Amino acid sequence: MRSLRRFFTRLLNLVTGQSPDARLTEEIEGHIALQTEENLRAGLSPAEARRQAMLKFGGVEGVKEEYRGERGLPFVETLLQDMRYAMRTLRKNPGFTAIAVFTLALGIGASTAIFSVVDAVLLRALPYPKPEKLLRLWEKAPDGRLMNLADPNLDDFVTENDTFTDLAGYEHWLSSVSGGSEPVRVNIASVSRGFFKALGVEPFRGRAFAADELQVHGAPAAIVSHSYWQRSLGGADGLSNIHLKMEGAVYSVVGVMPEGFDYPPGVAVWIPRELYPELPSRTAHNWRGLGRMRDGVTVAQARANLSAIARRIKEEYGKEVDLNDAAVVPLADAMVGDVRAALLTLLGAVGLLLLVACANVAGLLVARTSARRKELAVRVALGAGRGRLIQQFLAESFSLSVAGGVLGVVIAIAAVKALPAILPANLPRQEGMTVNTSVLMFAFAAIVAVAVSLGLFAAWRAITGDLQEAMIAGSRSYTGAGTSTRLRGFLVIGEIAATLVILVGAGLLGRSFLQLISTNPGFIGNNLITMEFSLPTPQWQQGMQDPDVARQIHLVEDTLARLRAIPGVERVGVAGALPVAAGDNLADGNFLILNGTKAPADLSEFSRMAQNPAQVGRAYYCVAGEEYFRTTGIPLIRGRVFGDQDDWNSPNVAVISETLARQRWPNQDAIGQVIEFGNMDGNLKPVTVVGIVGDVRANGLDLPPSPIIYVDFRQRGMKANSSPTIVMRSAAPEGQIVSASRGIFHEMAPDVPVKFSTFRDEMSGWLANRRFLLLVVGFFAAAALALAAVGVYGVVAFSVARRTQEIGVRMALGAQRSNVLGLVLGEGARLALLGVAIGIAVSFAITRLISSCWVWYWVKARGLHFSAWP
Amino acid sequence: MVLKTLDVLGAQHGYGIARRIEQISGDLLAVNQGTLYPVLLKLEQEGAIASDWGASENNRRARFYRLTKEGRKQLQVETQDWEQTAAIIGRFFEVKAEDLP
Repeated sequence: MRSLRRFFTRLLNLVTGQSPDARLTEEIEGHIALQTEENLRAGLSPAEARRQAMLKFGGVEGVKEEYRGERGLPFVETLLQDMRYAMRTLRKNPGFTAIAVFTLALGIGASTAIFSVVDAVLLRALPYPKPEKLLRLWEKAPDGRLMNLADPNLDDFVTENDTFTDLAGYEHWLSSVSGGSEPVRVNIASVSRGFFKALGVEPFRGRAFAADELQVHGAPAAIVSHSYWQRSLGGADGLSNIHLKMEGAVYSVVGVMPEGFDYPPGVAVWIPRELYPELPSRTAHNWRGLGRMRDGVTVAQARANLSAIARRIKEEYGKEVDLNDAAVVPLADAMVGDVRAALLTLLGAVGLLLLVACANVAGLLVARTSARRKELAVRVALGAGRGRLIQQFLAESFSLSVAGGVLGVVIAIAAVKALPAILPANLPRQEGMTVNTSVLMFAFAAIVAVAVSLGLFAAWRAITGDLQEAMIAGSRSYTGAGTSTRLRGFLVIGEIAATLVILVGAGLLGRSFLQLISTNPGFIGNNLITMEFSLPTPQWQQGMQDPDVARQIHLVEDTLARLRAIPGVERVGVAGALPVAAGDNLADGNFLILNGTKAPADLSEFSRMAQNPAQVGRAYYCVAGEEYFRTTGIPLIRGRVFGDQDDWNSPNVAVISETLARQRWPNQDAIGQVIEFGNMDGNLKPVTVVGIVGDVRANGLDLPPSPIIYVDFRQRGMKANSSPTIVMRSAAPEGQIVSASRGIFHEMAPDVPVKFSTFRDEMSGWLANRRFLLLVVGFFAAAALALAAVGVYGVVAFSVARRTQEIGVRMALGAQRSNVLGLVLGEGARLALLGVAIGIAVSFAITRLISSCWVWYWVKARGLHFSAWP
Repeated sequence: MVLKTLDVLGAQHGYGIARRIEQISGDLLAVNQGTLYPVLLKLEQEGAIASDWGASENNRRARFYRLTKEGRKQLQVETQDWEQTAAIIGRFFEVKAEDLP
């Protein structure tokens, strides 16, 4: 207690930095004056009296010294002194200091920025109560494929499980919502009873869905997200008067979710799944599953429980179902499953970069230490202990890495601000990305680790070996190629090897990216203006009536005709989804090949007939307008495309892609085949294949061309595809066309939101996802390369400087310029070659490791129909 | 010793304390008086004594030290400790060989 108090007083004195000397000096003077008077009284002469008084007092300076030591904290004071000294030496070598600080700032800044991404995406807990209890659920096919849940299966899972407190299904899609300040295209989600309870979040305003809203034909109700409420509803307090028009119905808003609630990510409006009748099919995998485990239940128990239910369903329904098992994954893992590998790759790359940076600074320190050996020897000779020397080095490395670290954190803050621009849009949970406490802790840990390792390294270099020898040796003979050069050599070799690993990674990513952008998508992307819109009619309800469809078709036809009349527009077409950029919005499914057999009367007969594999094919379903192929430049290979003769009343026709023709009818003529694909839009009229067109990489440039069946929108309506897009070819300036088109849309369909863009922009958005890793790893590679170059230069320059004399002697003895050059270059080249050899070996090992990860990751991503990243 | 001196004399300046210690010890303890000051500082930082400027007998400015409450407590504790120690040591010196069983 007392010593603690003493410590704090001393610390305070240290910090306030008051000089104690004035007080002491005055006290001493007073003391001696009193003693002198006393001595005078005793009869001594004035001079003698003062002398005796001084003698009695003892050494004034000694007392002062002791007094000062007593007053402050000598340890801290020497540390501060070391710091000041370190600062001074660093200031005296501005070149060295600048390079070291900047190098460390680069390493620490880059790793801190990447860590902030990793922290937001992978490490931070989901913002729900007890997030570890949340699981995503799937049906599992016999081949191991994971599938979403079909309505009856979901119901069975909900009612029969005994390991979940709440289990719910949900689905979300892009749709137009009007009723707010303006019509918008946003994600809306249909969620089953228990969805919000499973997540453990309640509306912060209003209420959850009531019983009469959770039944077929009940009162349509919607809950909106906080950001939609703020943006489109103006943050209105009373919700009672707010109604939203979407999906062809009017919903009253009953609740607003709290800020930060974002599940499924990006959804603005939630509506009850129970409002609409369920599909009876056990193979229509429409619902994503989500559940909260009961307390005390493990993930394995939950999985076993659902597996048992799945097996029961399989036993009961046999061929009618395609599941035989169930799968669960913790929600946090499911959300980041795709990006974990990519992020860990990045973290690895940035770690290497930090390592290269450290090696570089270590190399510089070694050089400086060697140059300072004499100074050190003098200090040792004057009585400095090893501890004191190590402290001195630590002070220096701390100053360096703190300066580097602070600069690095500044860099990281700037980078985190800039990152969202290049981060792929489908990276989950990136909105939480900030430089927060845990990120700062990471930076701090990095700084301390760097400081300690560099300081100890330099100190170890400095105090090993006989310093006295350095004293005696003097500068002339002490060029001894010595351990320090060899050590720097090792550092540089390591640096080059690490750099090479990053370079190879960047190269691999770059090559696949180049391959990607040089892939022919199957059509001509230049001068294509795109307009993605959604129709104000229910797209997902099977019960859409023919007059609705007809009205929709007329609207689209009229709009197309008006757009075509804009001067400068060459061609206008329409399709269910923009290929490549929005290809994931195309639905795929099994179709029946009829060829003489009677078309099924209803969907259950359809699924019975679909059990005969000889009669089934699989393809994507895309509605398109007559001019679509000509507008995009998809070539007609055989037969014909849609024409004026194809209308509502004439026999339905289809155009298929070359791949499908080759895959499904390898030895026959695909033209003339009669197909039943009514499971996609509920219209069971068979279609006849009339033409074959060129392949399109509809699902992305990185995937093989997709088998596609195009149908005419005038015959089947637009409802089967969720992001219908008008494409327009025009060489005229884009802005002019867009403003003309906007006017037309506004007149024709005021409550239809339209997203104007160009195919080029849509593509670059799609590529951004793939470009991100390349950009970042490429940047790391460039930085590491620069550092390694500086490192090699440093080693060679240093050794040349130290061998100037030797070189001089060599030249005097007749060595040619070329010999000397060879000597110097040889040294650099040897290091570089060794580094490259090691780097290549390591790269081989690592790329093999990564590519096996990639394969796994691709398979998984594709199997789940996630959009791939990268 | 410092604490006891202050306890007996009340507030006192450095010279006074030094003189007093000399007097009491009968000039047997004639250490360098200067060493007193670091000790005073330590005690002050521990909170056992406090100090203020005041005027000395010859009308110079001098720093007067006085015992604080805490110092008094500390003095008590140390007095007890010392008495105990002294008693024990004393007993060792009193004991003669024939007293041992």
